[in-house]
Formats: sequence, structure tokens, C-alpha cells
Amino acid sequence: MSQSSDTPTLRFSPKAVAELESLKTHYPNLKACILPALWIAQREYGGHLPPEAIAEVAFRLKRSPAEVQGVATFYSMYNTEHKPGRHMIEVCTCLTCHVCGASNIVAYLEKKLGIKMGETTPDGMFTLHGVECLNACDRAPLIQVGDEYHGPMDEAKIDALLERLRNEPESKVVALADAIVQVHLKEEEREKARQAAASVQS
Amino acid sequence: MGEYKLLLRHSGDPSYATLDGYQRQGGYDGLRKALAMDRQQVIDEVKTSGLRGRGGAGFPAWIKWNGLPKEKTKPHYIICNADEGEPGTFKDKQLMETCPFLVVEGMTIAAYATQADVGYIYIRGEFVDAARSMRRAIDEAYRAGLLGRNILGSGMNFDLHIHTGAGSYECGEESALMSSLMGERGMPRLKFPHAPLPTISGLWDSPTLINNVETYACAPFILANGGAWYASIGASTKNSRGTKIFSVSGHVNKPGNYEVEFGTPLMELLEMAGGMKGGELKACVPGGSSVPILNAEACQKAIIGYEEMMEVGSMVGSGGCMFLNEHTSIVDFIWRTSIFYKDESCGKCTPCREGTRWMFLILDRIRSGQGRMEDLQLLEDVCRQIDGRSFCGLGDAAAWPVAGALKVFRHEFEEFIRSGRSLAARA
Repeated sequence: MSQSSDTPTLRFSPKAVAELESLKTHYPNLKACILPALWIAQREYGGHLPPEAIAEVAFRLKRSPAEVQGVATFYSMYNTEHKPGRHMIEVCTCLTCHVCGASNIVAYLEKKLGIKMGETTPDGMFTLHGVECLNACDRAPLIQVGDEYHGPMDEAKIDALLERLRNEPESKVVALADAIVQVHLKEEEREKARQAAASVQS
Repeated sequence: MGEYKLLLRHSGDPSYATLDGYQRQGGYDGLRKALAMDRQQVIDEVKTSGLRGRGGAGFPAWIKWNGLPKEKTKPHYIICNADEGEPGTFKDKQLMETCPFLVVEGMTIAAYATQADVGYIYIRGEFVDAARSMRRAIDEAYRAGLLGRNILGSGMNFDLHIHTGAGSYECGEESALMSSLMGERGMPRLKFPHAPLPTISGLWDSPTLINNVETYACAPFILANGGAWYASIGASTKNSRGTKIFSVSGHVNKPGNYEVEFGTPLMELLEMAGGMKGGELKACVPGGSSVPILNAEACQKAIIGYEEMMEVGSMVGSGGCMFLNEHTSIVDFIWRTSIFYKDESCGKCTPCREGTRWMFLILDRIRSGQGRMEDLQLLEDVCRQIDGRSFCGLGDAAAWPVAGALKVFRHEFEEFIRSGRSLAARA
């Protein structure tokens, strides 16, 4: 394939490169690395997957960008369309949450943040997003923010959560991607990535 | 009969998620016994146990275990389906978070029996806590020589990886899960008899065993105590053995996971969950959103068992049990169900892609007060066109709840269409 001749701009950190090298040993071929590599890319590109991120994953795995884009767009957790706000508030509106008052949670969040579901606040702090069953129905109505589940939610808990998130400097979208990358890696593989990161800093 | 805690017995003890704590409670006795047996004996124990798949289909586990070639010519793989996505279900989440070694040990036993070299736990992307718990357990098992090369000095090698999903209900379907694991869009693959079974040609065309989290978690107990002992649990039912974890949610006072012996009346499950909240029992979806809804009368008669549940018109499914009180509009509930399937249909086949959309459009028309009486027949017709005609089970699973509700709660749909609103829902 001719696309290998034009190298895209590469933004993966040495840590990310080390992580991807470890992941490659988990599968018999590079294609199977596409999903975990997209998680690395989502973290490295600040919480979303612009075309450059897709191109980089494709280049590193010797696949075509079209193939990688095709895979990425299938899955709802890869942010291929828009760059979300610093924190994505995912409100479960599925069955149990629906009968346990999810619509009140949606209405309160929309009022409080002044945006509709699917929108991002003008300051880029929050994106509201409706999701299907998060499978913690014993805690309905439920909200997911990054790597955290919160429920059962009510207005007071929403107030407290938003307050805490406003003061959270790190993006929860990035934190989620990183958490997912880390669970793929064995102890020694995480150590290798740490060393790769440290060697650049020193 | 009350709760029968087997898998969840030590779920409340945080040390059970550590190797020490797990072994103090008999952990790894099952694997030790298995390694002293020959492979076929292990499979025979699972056969004797009567264990059926806990992911929803209830397929006899031993047939899968026995289906991988005995003469190995290629790598063998095993997969744990931890892509728990069936609305109403949250048992695998708790199992992984609080009893991760049951899953690791269960998979290692299965790997021994099927000569698998590598295993993957496919965990949905949202389940970070469950994945972290599994990661800690796997790391610890490697350190203790319970994974990796020459496990417990037996000469057995087995590597176990975590692979996460990225938001797709369809990936819980086993062939779609394999597509996803191989780096593709999560779409289902051609199935038997049009293609070989996964046990012959699954991941990367190699023999592959795939089971649900709860199924693997049963294996340590079956091997430690014997298949016959396991089969004595639930023996009052036709063909369901052991225990089943039900995730109880909805209008109940104490939602949560409750493990029961097969043969337990459904109403006892409701009692365990603290009874109804906010009104009398009206309906129950006993096994996850895909199974047909039961009215209160059927709930009174329902016994938890694969065949027994079918006798009252529903299924055990994945064990996602939602109880609904008298103020619930069934039309609204089924409308929300149809949104789920419309959103989650992968789009590969026409009956499911188009059918789920049309079911939603018709239900949405009824719910908005614009329904026509002939819409009910139209809905039934669409259900018939999907059921059995879709490429994978998602289509069937989308049609059953609608068809079931039209049968059991038809009067409520008619009432809604006549009056243009729900008479059940509280103003």
C-alpha cells in the first residue's frame, strides 16, 4: 500500500509508544490492537479522536486510516465526531433508570448547565450525554463521569458532583481513556511504560 | 427457599479479592483438583454438574468445553464474555469487582480442559472498577505462578489478557464480540450450520471457547466439590442446576444482586429485595430487557428455572430482573425498550436495522397520543418479520419484549390509543 510512504504527524508520547509495543504482544496480529490503540490515542489527543489521531493509529498498526476510522465510528465511547468538554456527564436513561426518574435528572442537569443533551457548555467544562444501560441498575438513576459511577442521583448529589468536577483540573474523559489503557497492561508492562516516560524527563 | 449464596458467599469480604483471602476460603482447590485429573474428566465433571451458560441462552456448558478438538493442531483460545450490557443486569460487574479470582480460576480450569494457550476477558469499556479488580487479580495470579508458564508445576501454560470494549451492546453477542476482539466493528459473524462453531473456528480461525463471567465463576466450585454435588442444587427443577444470580432493580426497596437456588419462586426474589416500593406489583421483566414481560398473576406462578420460566411465558435470560409497580405505563416502558434496541442494532441485517426502527416509530406514535388501533397489528407483524429472521439474536431480543407486552398487556395499549394517554402513569 502506498499510504505507508507519507508518514503522518506522530504525537504519541514515549510512554504511549511503550504501551502500544506491549499490547502488540497480547495478540497474534496488529489488527487486533486497533481498539486498545484507539484508547491510547483518545488519551494522547486530549479526549477525542480527530482524523490525525486515526491516521497515527493506522500508521503505527500498518492499517489504512479508512479501516481504523471505520472501526472507531462503530463504538460510542470513541469520540470521533466532536471534542467533548473537559468532563463528559453521561446520564443513563435506559429502562430501570427511566422508571426510576432519569428524566428528572436530565431536566435538572439541562437547567443547571443551561445546555441540552448532546451539547457542551460554552466554557468547555461539561458535555451532557445520554447513554444506554450502564448496568448498575441497583443505583438508578445513574450517571457516569469518566471512570466513576454515581447513583442513585438526586439534585443535591448533582450539585455536589458538578462543584467537585469544576475544581478537578484533569479531564475525566482523558482519565477514563487512561484507566482503560492501564487495565490492559500487566505489571511489568506498566513498569516499562513508566520507565519510557521517565527516560524522556531525565 | 431464601438466598443461596455460593458465588457471592464472600462477596462482602474485601479480602476475597486478594489471593490470600481467596485461598483462605478454598480458592484454587478446584484448579488443583482439575490439574490432577485428565482433561476429559474435568469436562465430565462439568457435564455431571448440569451447568448451563449464564449469559442468557442457557446452553449446556460442557458441550462447548467438549467441542474443542482433542488433537491440537492450532492455538486454542478461551474468552470470558464480560461485556455485560443487557439492561437490568449487573451481576457480572459485582462478580468481577468482589470475586475476581473466581473468574480467573474458572478460566484457568477451562483452559486446562480445552488446552487453551491464551485467554481474553472482554470487559465493556464502562466497567472500569470491574476491569481494575480483574487486573489486580491477574497480576497477583501471575506473581504466584497461577498464570503464565508451568502453572503450579503442572507444565500447563496459560496467558490471560484483558481486552475492553468501547460502547456497544451488540458486542455481548458472542460472534460480534470476537469481531471486536479481532479489531473490527462489533458485528456478528456467520454462524452454524452456515459456518463452523466457534469451538472449531472462532478467534483467528482457531478453536475458541466462550462463556459468560458467571459461568466461569461456577467452575471452581464444581471442580472442588464435584459435579454431582453441584447438580444436587436446584434439583427440583426440570433441567436447571446450581444457583443463579439475579440483579433485582426497578420499584423495589432493596435493589441488588441476589443469588438463589434454581426452583425458587420468583416472588421470593421480590421478598429478598425488600418488596415493592411505591405501589403494588404490576409487572416483571425477569431476565433482562430481552425477555417477555410478566403480569402480576404470572409472577405469582413463576418458578426460577430455564424451563419453568418458559412455562409462564418468559425466560431466565441473564437474570436482570426488573419489578414494576402499578403506576408504570407499560406502553411507556416498552417504548423505552424499543429505543434501546433501535440504538444498539448494529445495522448489519435489514430485519433488525429496519425492524427496530419501525417498532420505535410505531410505539412513539402511540405514546405521543397519535396511535391507531391497527398499529397494534402492525407492530405484531413487524415483530414476526424480525423474530427468527435477523442475522443474530439481537433482532429476536428486540422483538420478544414488544410481542410479549402486546400479548399480556394488550388492553393497556388499546386504552392508551383510545384515550391518547396512559391511565396507569401517575399525573
